[in-house]
Amino acid sequence: MTATTGAGRSAHPERPGKSDGVCSEFTVFTEIKPGHADALREDLAAMADTADDERVHAAVRQIGTLHDARHVIFDNDTRFMFASVFDGSWDTYIDDFAKTVVGERFDKVFSHSVGFPGVKDPGVKDWFVAHQAPAGVFVSAYPDLTVQQIYKDQRVDEAFQEVLDTAEFRAALENPANAELVATPAFQKLLEEASA
Amino acid sequence: MKPADSSGATGVRVEIDDVQSGALRPRPVPYEGKFIFLRVDDRHAGRALLRRLLPVTSGGLPDADRSGEAWVAVAFTYQGLRALGVPQESLDSFPQAFRAGMAARAELIGDVGESAPAHWEAPFGTGDVHIALSALSSDAAQLDRELKRARVAYEDTPGVQVIWQQEVRQLPTGRTTFGFRDGISHPNIEGVGLPGSNPQEAPIKAGEFILGYPDETGSLPPMPEPEVLGRNGTYAAVRKIHTNVAAWRRYLRANSSSAEEEARLAAKMVGRWPSGAPLTLTPEHDDPELAADPQRVNNFLYRENDDRGYRCPASAHIRRTNPRDSTIIGDARMHRLIRRGTTYGPPLPEGVLEDDGADRGLVGVFLGAHLERQFEFIKAEWVNDGNFIGYPGEQDPVAGHHGGTGTVTIPEKPVRRRLQNLPSFVVTRGGEYCFVPGLRALRWLAELEG
Repeated sequence: MTATTGAGRSAHPERPGKSDGVCSEFTVFTEIKPGHADALREDLAAMADTADDERVHAAVRQIGTLHDARHVIFDNDTRFMFASVFDGSWDTYIDDFAKTVVGERFDKVFSHSVGFPGVKDPGVKDWFVAHQAPAGVFVSAYPDLTVQQIYKDQRVDEAFQEVLDTAEFRAALENPANAELVATPAFQKLLEEASA
Repeated sequence: MKPADSSGATGVRVEIDDVQSGALRPRPVPYEGKFIFLRVDDRHAGRALLRRLLPVTSGGLPDADRSGEAWVAVAFTYQGLRALGVPQESLDSFPQAFRAGMAARAELIGDVGESAPAHWEAPFGTGDVHIALSALSSDAAQLDRELKRARVAYEDTPGVQVIWQQEVRQLPTGRTTFGFRDGISHPNIEGVGLPGSNPQEAPIKAGEFILGYPDETGSLPPMPEPEVLGRNGTYAAVRKIHTNVAAWRRYLRANSSSAEEEARLAAKMVGRWPSGAPLTLTPEHDDPELAADPQRVNNFLYRENDDRGYRCPASAHIRRTNPRDSTIIGDARMHRLIRRGTTYGPPLPEGVLEDDGADRGLVGVFLGAHLERQFEFIKAEWVNDGNFIGYPGEQDPVAGHHGGTGTVTIPEKPVRRRLQNLPSFVVTRGGEYCFVPGLRALRWLAELEG
């Protein structure tokens, strides 16, 4: 595994929020505009609609640093929470993010919150930070892995499994001409993964 | 004021004649130039100096009929604007990165270790740099004449001190100290009337480079107040970078088994061959003829022909710092820069592998309307990290600060190559964030009262 220390380097170290390894948490609490809870609920339901699923996953892939995100209405329809986990600093990619389909949806969803200036407004980062509540504890199951590394690991495993399914690979393993390579500790590690 | 021809749907008209010529125009080839830093000890003297500099400072686009022309550009650090007596509410309206200065941002842009401000050459990072003058020309005699005119302005002004000077000039090879032609890419800026170097690049909003016009986000870039000060200005990150050419050559030698392989490895790290021919168009060998053709040398994208980087690695210097349409995290158009690299110091003679102790490298000027989203982002995310291309922690092979432990992945079939234990080939000797005002703003500064 490549060292991942650089991924956590932030261009905006002053931002609040807890980090674990390369990723950080971001949680925002806002006030829902009076009478807007149902409209917000409808927008969230539309976001969850599978018809839009592909577009949104493509946009999340384009952003490339977002591990997950959730939107929650609470306190008797008066308050709203957005929570996410991402690589590096939250506002590293926020300008780019405003240009994706996810940015549009953000705009729609947060338009029901009191005082939201719009996702393309130059002051939007300050607004989010003003509504952010840093976690008391934030822990990741994979503190060394960025979203990009996870994608890569997934691709490598899929390709590896495909190789394991070929008869040629088995034959090559048993071929005495390859004995030296197969005996190396590095290759033995690979075989250990191949064995289950 | 004559607006430049507009292009694009928005019909934005840039007041190009008010923008300093030194801000937008590409560097001449060949070139000679000089950077001069001044300290203002007396605000009235500083303003008097500006009044004398005004007629020397040119605006607008280069004149095709005057190829020998030279131009002087004037820029100010935050401390410089303070020294000139710019009102506090105006000073407070500048973005935080500019107010803090480059030295204060060193850690996040990766100027650490031997590149840290503690080791910078004086007066970089001391707060003494107030005014930065630059003069560039393709003609030495013309440069001299312009510099004489500028010198009259500051030499006759007690209360203003010259505190640093650096001569730059193109090496006889026409290449950088590392041996590569540079200064090839220039963005296609909407409404400015200068051609971009890549015919395939869609015009980028003027507000990415000049204050007072909408940028790629659709908003106006944050602008200092009053409007007369901000409008038609831009920001410049000015950096003096020492290049360790001997270390570069030794690393290439140690990781190759022939001269041919050495040249190929160097090209893989840079993304271009020494002539400037891009690997994306000619992956196996240099092609000086292609490189000499301005219609072809920069006419390429990455995604269609080289998405996986078998020709030009995703980690190569030119691909990282200008990823064009590459598959990356985010949107490359949000992080475009005007780059102007100039060379200082003597070349290390061909074939020499031991350091001769001479100071050589480049003075780089990186221009744009957003210091944080452009210069700082590119340094922190693209030069000093590789997560955006799926190689977390891997730095730019040429411009990264590797400290002997760097790795770089070069895609190859059947198995990718991984360079190990990279030393740093560059050391930051100093840098300053500057504001490059428009000409009306320059007059406003010259006429400040109190």
